[in-house]
Amino acid sequence: MSKRLKASERKAAILAVAKVLFSDKGYHGVAVDEIARRVGVSPAILYRHFPSKEALYEEVLNRIACQRESYVEAVVQSDGSFGEVLRMITRRYVESVSRDPDYLRMELQSALEGSDATRQFFENRWRPFTDYIEVTVRELQASGKVAQTDGRIAALMFQGMLREALYAKCIFGTPRYRDLDLNELTDYLVTLFFRAIGYRECED
Amino acid sequence: MSGYDLELDARGLNCPLPILRAKKSIQGLESGQVLRIVATDPGSVKDFEAFCKQTGNELLAASQDGGEYAFSIRKG
Repeated sequence: MSKRLKASERKAAILAVAKVLFSDKGYHGVAVDEIARRVGVSPAILYRHFPSKEALYEEVLNRIACQRESYVEAVVQSDGSFGEVLRMITRRYVESVSRDPDYLRMELQSALEGSDATRQFFENRWRPFTDYIEVTVRELQASGKVAQTDGRIAALMFQGMLREALYAKCIFGTPRYRDLDLNELTDYLVTLFFRAIGYRECED
Repeated sequence: MSGYDLELDARGLNCPLPILRAKKSIQGLESGQVLRIVATDPGSVKDFEAFCKQTGNELLAASQDGGEYAFSIRKG
């Protein structure tokens, strides 16, 4: 029993170290030997848990998919309006990134390396926003609740705005925005977004 | 056995839209009535499990056929 627990703890330690190294150096910049050495195990032990570096990287990425459960919770707790749902899922996302900015670094690294993981980051992290905004803007437009706007471009604007705020606060530590609280900053950006598309909260 | 009172077509939609639509559809049902949802997002399997757990509705059935996922949810 205790042996199994030890194995699971070791696996968790490998994943934690791998995440930090991948976020720091990218997929290609990290060797399995280095991960094993930092964890304090032999490469053979590491390969017992993960058959390859690719498999380990994928498992680190899979951990970010659990984000979705908190989106479901946000939808269940919301009144279902565009304003409230978008605010709530944005808050959930911002909380998760500020708790663990290594994933944001991994996303940047994967883009620089041109790896397929960039697509997974989009699917897991950004697509809920872009799809939701695009579809809902189109629907609200039909009933005159938002201005004539291309939903796809509105979604791109939102993604760019939120991503930049997260980079400035969680990665670059940009002095210009140091005095701003991340949650307040992103909440204000959501308000600016609603104004830009001519959406008034509490109207749908 | 495969009866339902309302069907929701959530094909082509991704999280959080299928959940949002399901929430709105269930609001119009009486307790005990069944909503059937058809979706194409592979993540919808976990999403509807979480949805039912959080809302107290019952996930009667979940199935997959090709790229489509079907869920039957009884309103609690």
